[in-house]
Amino acid sequence: MKHTLEMRNIVKRFPGVLASNRVNLTLRAGEIHALLGENGAGKTTLMQILYGFHSMDSGEILIDGERVHLKSPKDAISLGIGMVHQEFMLLQPFSVAENTILGLREGHGPLLDLQGASEKLKELSNRHGLALEPAAKVSSLSVGEQQRVEIVKLLYRDARLLILDEPTAVLTPQEKDRLFVVLRRLRENGRSAVIVTHKLKEVVELADRVTVMRDGQAVATRTIQETSQRELTQLMFGREVSFLADKAQQQPGAPVLEINELRVEDETGRESICGVSLQVHAGEILGIAGIEGNGQSELAAAIVHLQGMKSGRIILNGTDVTNLNVARRRALGISYVPADRRRMGSVVEMSVADNAILGLQRKYTRGLFRSIDDARELARALIARFAIRASSIDAPAGKLSGGNLQKLILGREITRGSGVLIVEQPTRGLDVAAVESVWGELLRARQEGKAILLISAELEELLNLSDRIAVIFEGRIMGIVDPAAASIEQIGRMMAGISAGTTSPTPSAVTEAQHGQIV
Amino acid sequence: MAKLFERRLTPADSPLAIISRTTAAFLAAMLVAAFLFVSYGAHPLQAYFALFHEPFATLRGFGYTLARASPLALIGLGTIVTWRAGFSYLGFEGCFVLGSTSTAWLALSTASGGRIGHVPFFLFLSIAILFGFVSGGAWAGLVAVMRARFGGNEVLISLMSNYVAIFILQYTVSGPLRAPGSLPETRLLPRTTWLPFILPGTRAHAGILIALAAAGLVWTLLQKMPLGYELIVTGLNPLAARYAGIDVSRRFVLAAFLGGGLGALAGMVEVLGAQHRLMDGISGGMGFVGIIVALLARLNPLAVIPTALLYGGMSVGADAMQRRANIPSSITFILESLLVLLVLASDVLRYYEINASSLWCRSPQTVDGQASE
Repeated sequence: MKHTLEMRNIVKRFPGVLASNRVNLTLRAGEIHALLGENGAGKTTLMQILYGFHSMDSGEILIDGERVHLKSPKDAISLGIGMVHQEFMLLQPFSVAENTILGLREGHGPLLDLQGASEKLKELSNRHGLALEPAAKVSSLSVGEQQRVEIVKLLYRDARLLILDEPTAVLTPQEKDRLFVVLRRLRENGRSAVIVTHKLKEVVELADRVTVMRDGQAVATRTIQETSQRELTQLMFGREVSFLADKAQQQPGAPVLEINELRVEDETGRESICGVSLQVHAGEILGIAGIEGNGQSELAAAIVHLQGMKSGRIILNGTDVTNLNVARRRALGISYVPADRRRMGSVVEMSVADNAILGLQRKYTRGLFRSIDDARELARALIARFAIRASSIDAPAGKLSGGNLQKLILGREITRGSGVLIVEQPTRGLDVAAVESVWGELLRARQEGKAILLISAELEELLNLSDRIAVIFEGRIMGIVDPAAASIEQIGRMMAGISAGTTSPTPSAVTEAQHGQIV
Repeated sequence: MAKLFERRLTPADSPLAIISRTTAAFLAAMLVAAFLFVSYGAHPLQAYFALFHEPFATLRGFGYTLARASPLALIGLGTIVTWRAGFSYLGFEGCFVLGSTSTAWLALSTASGGRIGHVPFFLFLSIAILFGFVSGGAWAGLVAVMRARFGGNEVLISLMSNYVAIFILQYTVSGPLRAPGSLPETRLLPRTTWLPFILPGTRAHAGILIALAAAGLVWTLLQKMPLGYELIVTGLNPLAARYAGIDVSRRFVLAAFLGGGLGALAGMVEVLGAQHRLMDGISGGMGFVGIIVALLARLNPLAVIPTALLYGGMSVGADAMQRRANIPSSITFILESLLVLLVLASDVLRYYEINASSLWCRSPQTVDGQASE
């Protein structure tokens, strides 16, 4: 059988690392092929070779049976290969049509044929079910729509093979379903797609075949019918991993963190948080669900005081901390694991040991001087307790993988002995093994009696960990639900602002009797 | 066949790697400058001998080297404190000028019949250090306040503030402190206020000791103290600094104060150690050369001392070179600039390793060509 794409024995060696070790990958016309593996397994390197970003040391690439040489992404595009990156490359003030033809010469002579482009775009959009309006400004589009603009850009250039790198990382459940519909439609129209992912569920839901990568090798290729999530996990890790967090039953204690009628304004005067009131109790995890950009980050920033607030009060252990600065709030017992672990949670240029005391620099001292020995000891203790893989505590923290860096930050914030833990997107971009250990640590902190506010875009994570889930939409809490009773669809509707749930003011109020009330 | 230069994933940062690539950059800079010497009809080796012999191999010349290096090192240290905190201050020329002006005013006030009258030298020196430091610190701190408060661009404001400081100097030497005579300069400062000479028979003065002490203090601050840690975090990642409870604006102002103060001490050292009077144009661009000294030292407070000696020495040697080999002393500026450029550019080499084995397969010409790069 003739393949659309065939990658044979691809070898790519970076000094010290064999990123791609005799990898084979085939792709049929009209196929969705998942490339599954942990972070660092070599998925991205392989796709970057296919997209012409990296040269390969040996091996060959065949397109429609013809051997091709890809020296740059330009070559790849001319051969009909397109890639949607995790970070979109769109100009926000431009329209969909303008973004689409960016870099192309459309029209005759010096005049731009935006009209013609819009018509072609409209036609493509209809044929593939993208539902895009050519004249709409990209800045007014949702994340899911922006992703579809990226896809239509590729279709406009007549790409037959689409590479999507972690396409669902930034999407809501509804947007994810929408994307899958689009991809299935593309498949019907004879185009092929490679989905780079580490999410098993999506593979099973969407793909026709899957190639699993581990340590730079393609360990297996399976059709979806002949495999199972369980087998794929084993292939990915070489062992079995459990997906359900073991959450011990426990009665939450007294409220530790109280947020009353919080309002936050951004620079333009728009309210990003409009009167949020929440209570987090000792020994409970309060989840915050919501589509990104609905005020979650602002909520965390206001609690920690990285951002000023317009009105409202924040009470920590009965003390009003509304007018205290970051350092004072941290000293009084607020810990924070920010979403951006490389830009906020750590200083990537500094060593692991120096990062272990970030925020604690005034504590780890002897007299006037820093106690570097104590900092190193702390770093070693964190590495041991949280199973962080680091070549050395003197290595720059930026060299740690995402999961290990996250464990370092989480470990630092958990062990500094504060009662409240604000955790934002704790497992974003982490592989399954790292997710498992981060979840375990959060549950351990819950059992130790910490009050945890968990902000996450992953519903699965919230459902697994939270004692209660508050759903936020446009800066307002739509309702608080019991994860044991609520369905993904219900929470999804609340996330989209369509329906409100029943608000239960205290955790003990969520009882069996109320399960049916959540609409 | 393996490539001669193989790209590495992680930069090579071992001491050996740093020393070898810095040495390579020095040799490359000297090689390029050698062509300039040739174009003046001089033998490069003789020119280099003239350039380096007097400042480093004669006692008298070395005395001058130490005297020139002291203010450069202090400005370099000021650069390190501000820049490592992420505050790109370029106003050291102004701090230097203000430091020398305030010191000269103070010294003249202690002359017989002056405002203060005679004071013991060590008391005078302590007051001068404090006074100079605060004048330069406040000057630079003002720029930091403008940035922290109003979001002003510190590069522009600090550059412009240099001119204001220079006007203050010009006013001082042509107005209130002007000595009788035609030149815009003050009277000679009282001998009791001069920094002592430390090498008999030379012009080397105690300023180098002040610079050494300052280097030790800056190193201690940055490496050993929690405040230094906070300054470095602020410089590397202001967002993480705020997250860690560090007041970024205050750290900017503090770093600017310390850096400006060190820059003013350079002016104090120059006026009390070398010039012994205040005159127009006393700084002579030293505020900028000091920044280069810090860059060449890669913002390491201990490495500033040798780089300051090198640049101080080269400015001494440039005159000797002009006398002996008849080469314009301004060529040294080109050599100094080449040094900085190539040493900074040598950072690229961190990401490559050399495959020695690939050398055997090539013709000798190629090998020479590659090695001289």
